[in-house]
Amino acid sequence: MRVLIVEDEPALRESLRSRLVDAGFTVDIAADGEEGLYAGRECPVDVAIVDLGLPKLPGLELIRRLRAEQRKFPILVLTARDRWQDKVEGLQAGADDYVAKPFEFEEVLARLQALLRRAGGWASPSLTCGPVVLDTRAQTVSVAGKAVELTTYEYRILEHMMLRAGEVISKTELTERLYDQDFERDSNTIEVFIGRLRRKLDPDDRLKPIETLRGRGYRFALARETG
Amino acid sequence: MYSLTRRLLVFVSIGLAVFFGLTAVTLDAIFRDLAQRSLRELLDAQIVALIAAAETDVAGRVKGASTEADARLRTPGSGLYAEIRSLDGRSLWRSPSTAGTFIDFAAPNGVTLPALRIARLADGTRVAISGRGISWEYGHERSVQELVFAVATSMQPYDEQLRAFRTQLYGGLVAAALLVLASIALLLRWLTSPIRRLESEIAALEGGRLAVLGGGYPRELAGVAQAVNALLESERRRIARYRDTLGNLAHSLKTPLAVIQSAISGSADTATLTRQIEGELGRMRGIIEHQLRRAATSGGRVMGQEPVPVAPVVQELRVALLKVHATKDFAIETAIDSGLLFAGDRADLLEALGNLLDNACKWCRSRVRVEAALLGAGERDRDVPSGPILRLRVEDDGPGIPEELRQHGPMRGRRADETTPGHGIGLAMVAEMAELYGGALRLDVSPLGGCRVDLLVPAAPDSTAR
Repeated sequence: MRVLIVEDEPALRESLRSRLVDAGFTVDIAADGEEGLYAGRECPVDVAIVDLGLPKLPGLELIRRLRAEQRKFPILVLTARDRWQDKVEGLQAGADDYVAKPFEFEEVLARLQALLRRAGGWASPSLTCGPVVLDTRAQTVSVAGKAVELTTYEYRILEHMMLRAGEVISKTELTERLYDQDFERDSNTIEVFIGRLRRKLDPDDRLKPIETLRGRGYRFALARETG
Repeated sequence: MYSLTRRLLVFVSIGLAVFFGLTAVTLDAIFRDLAQRSLRELLDAQIVALIAAAETDVAGRVKGASTEADARLRTPGSGLYAEIRSLDGRSLWRSPSTAGTFIDFAAPNGVTLPALRIARLADGTRVAISGRGISWEYGHERSVQELVFAVATSMQPYDEQLRAFRTQLYGGLVAAALLVLASIALLLRWLTSPIRRLESEIAALEGGRLAVLGGGYPRELAGVAQAVNALLESERRRIARYRDTLGNLAHSLKTPLAVIQSAISGSADTATLTRQIEGELGRMRGIIEHQLRRAATSGGRVMGQEPVPVAPVVQELRVALLKVHATKDFAIETAIDSGLLFAGDRADLLEALGNLLDNACKWCRSRVRVEAALLGAGERDRDVPSGPILRLRVEDDGPGIPEELRQHGPMRGRRADETTPGHGIGLAMVAEMAELYGGALRLDVSPLGGCRVDLLVPAAPDSTAR
């Protein structure tokens, strides 16, 4: 998952960045509203964290412009002004949720994950497709009740695919979500990860959870279970 | 800057000048007309007397006139002159008074004017001249002598009369105008004295020599004085609240700071220390949040506040909350008349309803209901002030509020830093806001099964009920 942080306070930005990287996110950062607008236009962002008090371009205005340009990724607002008036303004501008400063990182993380699930159409924090269950909070995966050990990259690919289960996801998209730099877009890497995931989730080759659509990408093929 | 007094006085002065000017011109004309008429009558009478005093020769032809009747005709320069002449302009007789004075009794064209003529004599005095043509019959053959009897009289008495009249007229008018102006100025001074008093009292307020404006203002200013006092009161309350907030903030932050201090100087291991500091940080954060919210509440009714329509505020919150709780499957039903108006600050209403609704959305299973209505007369009890009251009711079908919280109210016996998150702190905040507005917050069980919160706040007087 690729997250854009637009925050002008360097210490806060850096702490958010490092902790989100630890939590398995690919992170883009912007130090003011204008940079934020540029990054929001140019980067394949899955979710953004926007501080409302930004230099150059105020957060509310940034959100309005991104929305006006049809950028639909969920936006989490950070605000020191914790009045309902400000919250309502932020949500009206196009934000999806808010966290008041000072906050605990866990709160931000939980909100981000909830927003991502929501964007993928999931309500609960654990994503269930057939026998495969992925818990976005614990970052664990199980198949038919048995835990499956995944590396960080494997988990991130699976999470991305399961959040958008049923949709076709291109290799490029997966690569962009995994690496913040596009220094090496070696699609073989993705193929290797997908191969490993298939073996780990479906050692007997009966479930066939990941479908390959030649020339277009992959699709998580197991039906979602609502809830 | 302009002065109302000066403006009025200038306009009144111009008005008086025009009015009295016209009056003077008119009266002057009337008086002159009257005086000239009496002058002519006087001359006519003199002419008649002259004709009566005509003296004839043996043949009965007029040769002169007797001056027996009027001594002035005999005295040179007396101011009364007479002449008898034939129609062809030959002077037959002149009164002895004309000696040394040349008077041209004839009109410039040689014809005696029937009307009054005014001529200036060599010495500068003016005379009024009038004459009458007479066909004088004489002798047995009834011969006719065509004669003109003319009389001139000095205008001096007339001029003096006119001058005296004018002096009197203008003097009177100017005096009247000055009197009117002076009385208007006095009236204005008297009328504006409450304004000057207001000014000096406000200056005294600024200087701190006065706390509130005094009473006894006229009806036109009583409203202003009341408004200023209300403004002062609200400002005083605001300042007091800021001071309280700052004081509370500083004092309540000292406790956790002291705990941290003692924890650091104590010999606890790092893990315990971190845990302790984290705990105190959380507490400090709660305190700051609470006090900030309190300070941000505008603090009751302020002058010049536009009434806030309730329905749009609820609608905004509804949209926002549905977005925030998007993953939850529930509905927010609203029943709010568009004519209901809140008498207070929009941000306060948004804050209070935001908290109540957010709680309801968090705790509900599938339904949240918001209603607003004007409080009926039968529903009032002792802790509700007079005036129209708005009842904002938020209900949900969740587990409801713990009995203990409902019984004792959200604030009773709790300090800010002790209130627990969740229902508690939000409700405490809303209760405080309601109190600042002279309203109340009531908790009950909803027919939906969960919690019912009634927020009572002042309604704007022009609210319309359903």
